[in-house]
Amino acid sequence: MRLLFILGEIGGGLRRNLSMVISVVLVTFVSLTFVGAAGMLQMQINQMKGYWYDKVQVAVFLCNDGSTAVGCASGSATKEQQDNLQAMLESPAIKPYINDFQFESQAEAYTHFKEQFSNSPIVDSVSEDQLPASFRINMKNPEKYEIISETFSSQPGVETVSDQRQVLERIFSWMNGASVAAIGVAAVMIFCAVLLITTTIRLSAFSRRRETGIMRLVGASKTVIQLPFILEGVIAAVVGALLASVTLWLMAHFWLNGDLSRQFLNTPFISSTQVLVIAPVLIALGAGLAGISSLLTLRRYLKV
Amino acid sequence: MIRFENVTKVYEQNARPALDSVSLEINRGEFTFLVGASGSGKSTFLRLILKEDKASSGSVYVAGQNVANISSWRVPKLRRGIGVVFQDFRLLPQKNVFANVAFAMQVIGKSRSIIRETVPEVLKTVGLEGKERRMPHELSGGEQQRVAIARAVVNRPGILLADEPTGNLDPITSMGIMGVLDKINQNGTTVVMATHDDDIVNEMRRRVVELKNGKVIRDEAKALYTSMIPVVGESRRLRDASGEELNRAQGAQL
Repeated sequence: MRLLFILGEIGGGLRRNLSMVISVVLVTFVSLTFVGAAGMLQMQINQMKGYWYDKVQVAVFLCNDGSTAVGCASGSATKEQQDNLQAMLESPAIKPYINDFQFESQAEAYTHFKEQFSNSPIVDSVSEDQLPASFRINMKNPEKYEIISETFSSQPGVETVSDQRQVLERIFSWMNGASVAAIGVAAVMIFCAVLLITTTIRLSAFSRRRETGIMRLVGASKTVIQLPFILEGVIAAVVGALLASVTLWLMAHFWLNGDLSRQFLNTPFISSTQVLVIAPVLIALGAGLAGISSLLTLRRYLKV
Repeated sequence: MIRFENVTKVYEQNARPALDSVSLEINRGEFTFLVGASGSGKSTFLRLILKEDKASSGSVYVAGQNVANISSWRVPKLRRGIGVVFQDFRLLPQKNVFANVAFAMQVIGKSRSIIRETVPEVLKTVGLEGKERRMPHELSGGEQQRVAIARAVVNRPGILLADEPTGNLDPITSMGIMGVLDKINQNGTTVVMATHDDDIVNEMRRRVVELKNGKVIRDEAKALYTSMIPVVGESRRLRDASGEELNRAQGAQL
């Protein structure tokens, strides 16, 4: 009986304050979407780290005709220079640090390049002799990149030594920045959501002051009086959180695993099922925030 | 049933106390009028019984319990034992008569079958048979007050507090309301009624407690609205209307 009564009160309250309730739903929806997006970015970073760190190599690029580096003064790298570099890689000074290495000739580089940019018109404007040959080195410990860099960058015939890891680190730090920005926006929006919930509950308590006054007088318990108001806020926030979860799932499903994964074939994207891990967190966060802010508001504005 | 022991209530520091060391006992089943000018402390008296306010000093006992010792989560239980009626009825405008009375039972978790059984009974007691489906705005003031009384007593409280229940009603309707309150009192409920209505008090001939500036200046059984005994300060004796001396002493002398 009491449960039915409380449910009826909640229904009445939601209907009476419909526009405020909708605004609470929308604000929690937007704020939690940003929270979720930040979470997704972090998941994506971890996923990519796991995938790429096994594959990244240090590349020693050899000079070609167009090179302008100091070591390339004598033009394109010669066969002796190339053999000399290979001998250095196999020497006892370097060998302990590397797993293995391959030589990628200009022809092979061109083939890879064509594969990688098959969708892009840039392929047509690049010819084989514009691409450098390189030694691709798999490090035992990618952190020891400095050793290769120091040893090889001053050698004749070497244009540059590049660590792919550094390129990735730049991408990751950019993604980290984006997720921090998302958290920042989320924080502001959550603050708005809390204020809005507070106002909504206050209005709701005010518009029902007759009922609550009578409830007090006939000896209704604190729970019976306050619960409908608290649940009103919580329900609105949970609806917002559900909307946010659905939006994030749709984003992962149709954008990350649809368009983006077609464009970036060898990038591992998080799956839409992984996103579902975020949903309960968002719902709990929304419900918790709404519950606490309603409770504090009622303590001030609804005397029991 | 209700006992005040040297109760003082100060709302604002330095202001005159709303109640000034009031001592008073109202017995079970008694019908008591609380009279006095506006601001004499009648409403404060009623609020202290309900624990809406806390006494600044002294103790208030309701049904043998010192209300100061009732923890906040047990206050609802205290209030279930007390019905309250106001001058402005305080009905819920969007609920019909039945629902208004049933509301008081719903919020304390009474089952639907008990509500369906009890509400018509109580409506009959207050003389509103057959008007269950009316909305409050379709009722006269007297009928609305009857609904309010029905709501106040539907949970069978031992005490009924009425704060000027006839203040908005004409004399004839008021007498009807008094009939209802009397009937409730006959059934064993202690009734405390604050009022300005001298006709009613004179007609009913019940105990009258008169407050002035927060002090009890008169406490007579079977009394009239205005005192028949000239006030002679602290030493005066209390008499009822028949001239019999009362052993009920005035607060300050307890």
